[in-house]
Amino acid sequence: MSPFFVAWSQLSFHRVKLMVAAAGVVVAVMLMLVQLGIRQGAMDNSVAIARRVNADLVVVSPRTKTIFASAQFPRSLLYRAGSSPDVVTIQEMYMSQGRLRNPWTKLEFPVSVYGVDPENPMMHLPGYEKFRSELRQTDRILFDGLSRDNYGPVEQTLEQSGPMDVEVNLRKVRIVGAIRVGISINSDGNIFMSSANFFRLFPSRAPGSVDLGLIQLRQGADHEAVKREIQEYLGAEAKVLTRDQLIDSEIVFIRENAPIDFIFGMGAAVGFFIGFVVVYQILYTEVTNHLPQYATLKAMGFDDRYLLRVVLNQAVILSLLGYFPGFFLALILYRVATRAIQMQFSMTTERAVSVFALTMIMCIMSAMIAIRKVRTADPADVF
Amino acid sequence: MTESIPNNAVISARHVDFWFGEGELKKQVLFDVSVDVLAGEIVLMTGPSGSGKTTLLTLIGALRRVQAGQLSVLNRPLHDASDEDRVQTRREIGFIFQQHNLLPFLTARQNVELMFELHPEIPRGETRRMTDDLLRSVGLGDRLDYYPARLSGGQKQRVAIARALAANPRLILADEPTAALDSQSGRDVVNLLQELARNRACPILLVTHDPRILDVADRILNMEDGRIQEVRSEH
Repeated sequence: MSPFFVAWSQLSFHRVKLMVAAAGVVVAVMLMLVQLGIRQGAMDNSVAIARRVNADLVVVSPRTKTIFASAQFPRSLLYRAGSSPDVVTIQEMYMSQGRLRNPWTKLEFPVSVYGVDPENPMMHLPGYEKFRSELRQTDRILFDGLSRDNYGPVEQTLEQSGPMDVEVNLRKVRIVGAIRVGISINSDGNIFMSSANFFRLFPSRAPGSVDLGLIQLRQGADHEAVKREIQEYLGAEAKVLTRDQLIDSEIVFIRENAPIDFIFGMGAAVGFFIGFVVVYQILYTEVTNHLPQYATLKAMGFDDRYLLRVVLNQAVILSLLGYFPGFFLALILYRVATRAIQMQFSMTTERAVSVFALTMIMCIMSAMIAIRKVRTADPADVF
Repeated sequence: MTESIPNNAVISARHVDFWFGEGELKKQVLFDVSVDVLAGEIVLMTGPSGSGKTTLLTLIGALRRVQAGQLSVLNRPLHDASDEDRVQTRREIGFIFQQHNLLPFLTARQNVELMFELHPEIPRGETRRMTDDLLRSVGLGDRLDYYPARLSGGQKQRVAIARALAANPRLILADEPTAALDSQSGRDVVNLLQELARNRACPILLVTHDPRILDVADRILNMEDGRIQEVRSEH
């Protein structure tokens, strides 16, 4: 009779106890998956805008830490990049925080404002170019359909009754349509427009300075080499980054400025700890309650190894019984969180596998400690 | 008693001493014990509690390390055996305890079948048949799938006996197997042991206080204050 069979018989003998134990592991698995999922989601959503940049090279001010709070640099510098024969297109991009007034509640809410060229945005904004002729007109903007509800039912209204007027930065503008981009911990909502319209919303901004310069290179150009070349033309007042460097620096910014890793990492650690304690308690009491029987088995010639395998098998059974319900509960919670926080959360294979491994480690660690008790079962005490 | 060891001895102890505790608290419980148990014998060991009977039994059962003297069980010298040797010796002994100590979460059949885990050389199909035969031979053919909680004290002890016999032990050590049983169940258990000893020619060393069962013994050893006081032959 295998240690697995003995382990299963022992665990399943008291159904209620087994369910309590499994529930503990379920909670642990769920916590770990949800916390790590939200951490990843918050991170991904925050760099989503940077990821949408299509340009090969990006120029920012050396003072810029994140594009969500960018410092500007002179536009004239950006066009020096054209001296390089590898440069095909140069494009300006503007970003700022504005205030959009909810037309229903008449309250103002912060909104991220993007000035992006309607002809060639050099950003992955599906549907943006469809509106290019409208966007060329004065005070015409696009709304992000995935923005928070703060701004009112804008998307539905657009669908039902077409373009609508709103107030941004105390100026009346017309929303001509909606595209779906997504928000993050940095912004509650997004609006997009041409650079000309951008400056109408921010009259105090100097027209000669840009937030982000986007550069398209000739096919097959060595990005790193061109980057070094352009950096020389631009001097110290502008910094050239590859697209990957831009994304990396955004990630670093979030890591350093939002306690995402700490908060959600700690949530996951608490989950691990809860699971560890519950499993340890269950295994330890199982061993303690059956110490005379274990000692009897040892007296009859079973060695410690057999009994250790019984306890280890119990740990593995508990982790399996806890993992799968925990996994499905986490999937449901991802859905709930996506709806509640209005950011996208999803399960990745990598996370599913690593939390599975963590669950196994958690149960086996508990077993390792509970097992010490098995060694104390003295066969000579049975008589 | 002679120093020569009879060549059909299953257990042979020579000048065995044993102490419990350390230092100041060290207390001797066995004094110069020399005894033989021969193949096929049923030997009862009686004596007041605290006289060292159980200690001697645990030494013979390879459950404790021999401290002084020589002790051979099943031709293995336990006085210089490693832990691994002692585990091996235990696998050839059938133990019956005062407390049956059956695993409560396994059925009668599973409790017995578990023992074959120690004997992987016996094919899996065989073990089930042998288990059922054993349980039938102790009169539990109709209780195979009962959990211990649903068996009476006597029935549990009979499962324990079946378990002790599972892997054809060459020696049976029993400690007060009837103490927790009423007189009828106790009698049944002893008769069963006697029958098994006869059929299998398996020697039994049985520690008991129970005067009702003395008649099954080939020999009775009386232990007092850590010494074998007398060796009385019944026949």
